[in-house]
Amino acid sequence: MKQYLTSNSDVQIVDSLRTDNDRGRRWTLMEKLFMGLTLQQYIAQAIRNPFNWFLALIFAIGFPVIIGRFIFGLEWATGGPQSNAWGLFLGFGLFGMVPLSSSGFQMGSAVEVFGRHDMEPLERLGILNGILGYFFAVIFLMVDLGQPWRLPYPMVVSWGPASVLFLVAWHVATYLSVQAAEMSTPFFEWMGWPAGRTVIKKMALGLAVAGIILSTLHQGALGALSSYAPGKIHPLWYSSSFQWLYFFVSSLPGGLCMVIVVSTIVIKTMAWRCDDNFKLNLDKLHISLAKGASMGLFTYFVIRMVGVAHDNKWAYLATGWGTWWMFEIGVGVILSMILLTVGARNKNLTLIRLGAWTTILGVILNRLNVYLITFNWKHGEIEIPPWREFMITITIYCVYIATYRFILYRWPVLFRWKTKYGEYTVLDAKTGAKPAVSEL
Amino acid sequence: MYAVKRQMVMAAVGAMVMLVSSICFGSGIPDRITINSIQKYYDGVDFNHAAHINNLKDCGLCHHHTTGAQVSDPNCVRCHKNSGAQAVVSCKGCHSSTPFSPEELKRQKDQHPPIYHMDKVGLKGAYHLGCVGCHQKMGAPTGCEDCHKRNDSGNGIFHSGTYAPKTPGKAKSSHH
Amino acid sequence: MIDRRDFLKGCLACSVTAASISVVGKDAFAAGSFEGYPDAMGVLVDLTRCVGCRSCEAACNNEQKLPDPDLPFDDQSVFKEERRTTDKAYTVVNKYEIADKDTLFRKMQCNHCNEPACLTSCFVNAYTKTKEGAVIYNSKVCVGCRNCMIACPFNIPAYSYSSPTNPLIKKCIFCYDTRLKNGRPPACVEICPQQVMTFGHRSDLLAIGHERIKNDPAKYVNKVYGEKEVGGTSWMYLSSVDFDKVGLDNHMQNEPIISNVKDFLGMVPMVLSIWPALFTGIHLLATKNKGEHGDHDHEEGDQQ
Repeated sequence: MKQYLTSNSDVQIVDSLRTDNDRGRRWTLMEKLFMGLTLQQYIAQAIRNPFNWFLALIFAIGFPVIIGRFIFGLEWATGGPQSNAWGLFLGFGLFGMVPLSSSGFQMGSAVEVFGRHDMEPLERLGILNGILGYFFAVIFLMVDLGQPWRLPYPMVVSWGPASVLFLVAWHVATYLSVQAAEMSTPFFEWMGWPAGRTVIKKMALGLAVAGIILSTLHQGALGALSSYAPGKIHPLWYSSSFQWLYFFVSSLPGGLCMVIVVSTIVIKTMAWRCDDNFKLNLDKLHISLAKGASMGLFTYFVIRMVGVAHDNKWAYLATGWGTWWMFEIGVGVILSMILLTVGARNKNLTLIRLGAWTTILGVILNRLNVYLITFNWKHGEIEIPPWREFMITITIYCVYIATYRFILYRWPVLFRWKTKYGEYTVLDAKTGAKPAVSEL
Repeated sequence: MYAVKRQMVMAAVGAMVMLVSSICFGSGIPDRITINSIQKYYDGVDFNHAAHINNLKDCGLCHHHTTGAQVSDPNCVRCHKNSGAQAVVSCKGCHSSTPFSPEELKRQKDQHPPIYHMDKVGLKGAYHLGCVGCHQKMGAPTGCEDCHKRNDSGNGIFHSGTYAPKTPGKAKSSHH
Repeated sequence: MIDRRDFLKGCLACSVTAASISVVGKDAFAAGSFEGYPDAMGVLVDLTRCVGCRSCEAACNNEQKLPDPDLPFDDQSVFKEERRTTDKAYTVVNKYEIADKDTLFRKMQCNHCNEPACLTSCFVNAYTKTKEGAVIYNSKVCVGCRNCMIACPFNIPAYSYSSPTNPLIKKCIFCYDTRLKNGRPPACVEICPQQVMTFGHRSDLLAIGHERIKNDPAKYVNKVYGEKEVGGTSWMYLSSVDFDKVGLDNHMQNEPIISNVKDFLGMVPMVLSIWPALFTGIHLLATKNKGEHGDHDHEEGDQQ
């Protein structure tokens, strides 16, 4: 798209009412879906983008494998491990993606609850990152569950309220609704339904507070889930007292860094879609986010060390697992913390963005270590998932990226809709006498 | 009169005692015993009692104190030091073939005082624990079919013999 | 424009509701320690008696109508590697070569915990601990999340991954349907030639176990495995060697697995009660000076 727009600078993309010869008319839904391009133009820009070819290749292999998983069963796809019951789908897709999606509640609460209106250019991106992360975590779950069609059972058929997973199920379901409500603002703007938007705006504070509550609980609950497996998870990654805190606290920098990374990718690959408010504030906001993330990482580092000291697990550090633990902490936490802190202090955005990447990788590595790599460490061997499991995981992640991009291209997330809804009615579509665009 | 009567009774009792002892220590002892009261998956055992007696000499190695042998187990000695021979000596006379039936469990629970013979093994356990333990020590055969041949229904549940898996696959590796 | 006062009232109402729910919730989560049902049955497994004949595996396969085995049940070659329970075998016997001691065999199956981790981790309550002591499973509600497999400290539940349409948890149910509920011992206990397994009331079995140790302290390790482990189990073990050497974790916690998450679950109602008021308060503090334009949404679309 970027290349295409560079070479065809006269093409108009949808960000307001039409400004060309049909000035003032509403875009139709089809026009909006194609961002104002004709079908030929749309296809032309799509095939010029090499990333689309990469996606096509992944989907061509991955979708048949996903279909195969439902036809031939889980054993065909994952090998059916009896002792390591949770594989990549949950280890990466659920436990890895959910902490990186805490950006939704953090950005929402920063703006709505703490009154940090300077964060507004990234608020919608943060929330979108949140809802997509959760939504695709549920998709991963659907692929992993033996009987995904029974997913509503914990809600309606049979309750197991003493279970941590019961809590997770309810909170993720509720929180998805909360985020859907928050995210409906840009959707309503895009669709041109101002009434819906007004209703949601009134609920903004309530939604943000609900987001804090639900996030605190289920981010922690994902950690508490591993408290069920003492002795199976390596002691360096296990603490029955602090496990939920590890997961909750690490999700905070994880979510913030995800916003840094995504907005960096966005500004590099789809600057045409960002408005000036976004572009001009981004560096400043990245520095703010980096400060927050480094604080979070520091707290996380302290409690991880407290955990080791509390149960006196120092001896494990001298083992092979200890080296692996120090790698996770060294790169994912300490190095990230240094990069983010130094970057924020010296306003060095390269360091900040690098630090954001290492933070994210550190969080994902931590989740994989807890649920996959060190799980059943006493058996001595690490179970390597079969290729189909990798393929399905990569495919779903690519669908996530494609969906992410689809929405960023269209909905007013990176930009603000340039038209006042009220003006639809007073516009004279024929003459176009009245200017339809009111600049910010 | 009374004294004469008393002597006669004593004589009779003496004769009885001698008779019983002679059954225990000689003439009444079976040479071969077919053990088949609980057979299900295996045929009965044709047990050469005489050969075992000749080899072991000491009845108490298999029969507790019930044959009148000296009790050596310190736990049994506490009560059975002077118990002497019992009327019932065969395994199945005391060891139940259904040790875990509700009735048997209730009987165990209700016994007074509740501390004696509370851990009495069932008949099958008595046979095997008695025989196999000794066979191991003495270097005698210990394989199942060394003593009793598995029958058709036994082969059925063991999926062996004519019921063996069609394509004997490798032992499938378990997931660890 | 938002009526902030209405919203705050709503928040307060929420807090009160959450607080009242929390009273109920906390009681439920913080239930005191459970010693097991008084009439629960159990099995005492005496490893010193087992000769590794695998009859129990055969009987289980037959009783539970499991698929045909890959190898006959009298094939001893399976002992070459340590096996675990699978969806096709609810009990397996493993062989343990002990240095300077005899070879020991150990049968493994569900230990039927007093407070089972599978049960307490299940979010659809698919498991039930019956008054007879069995931990049984309701396949009708199972979603297939496999959290029970993660939670089971003995790695017992297996999943029939191979079924695309109806995969289920498969594990020993103490022959509950066919035997236990009628007062009969499970099939493995009944077939065992060596009476490795003693079936009875759990309380009696504990007494028997300790009595056997007392009568022959040289033979047994002074511990009835399962008496205290993870809150106590219905199946318990006696051994002549350290339990670690026969594949049983000798450092298992004595508290039930649920106690590991009780603190977290207890915190839930507190968060539900405190957070709304706390963060609404912070919001009021944070936005106090912004007064009238506390409605920050100064972009166009909001001006209808």
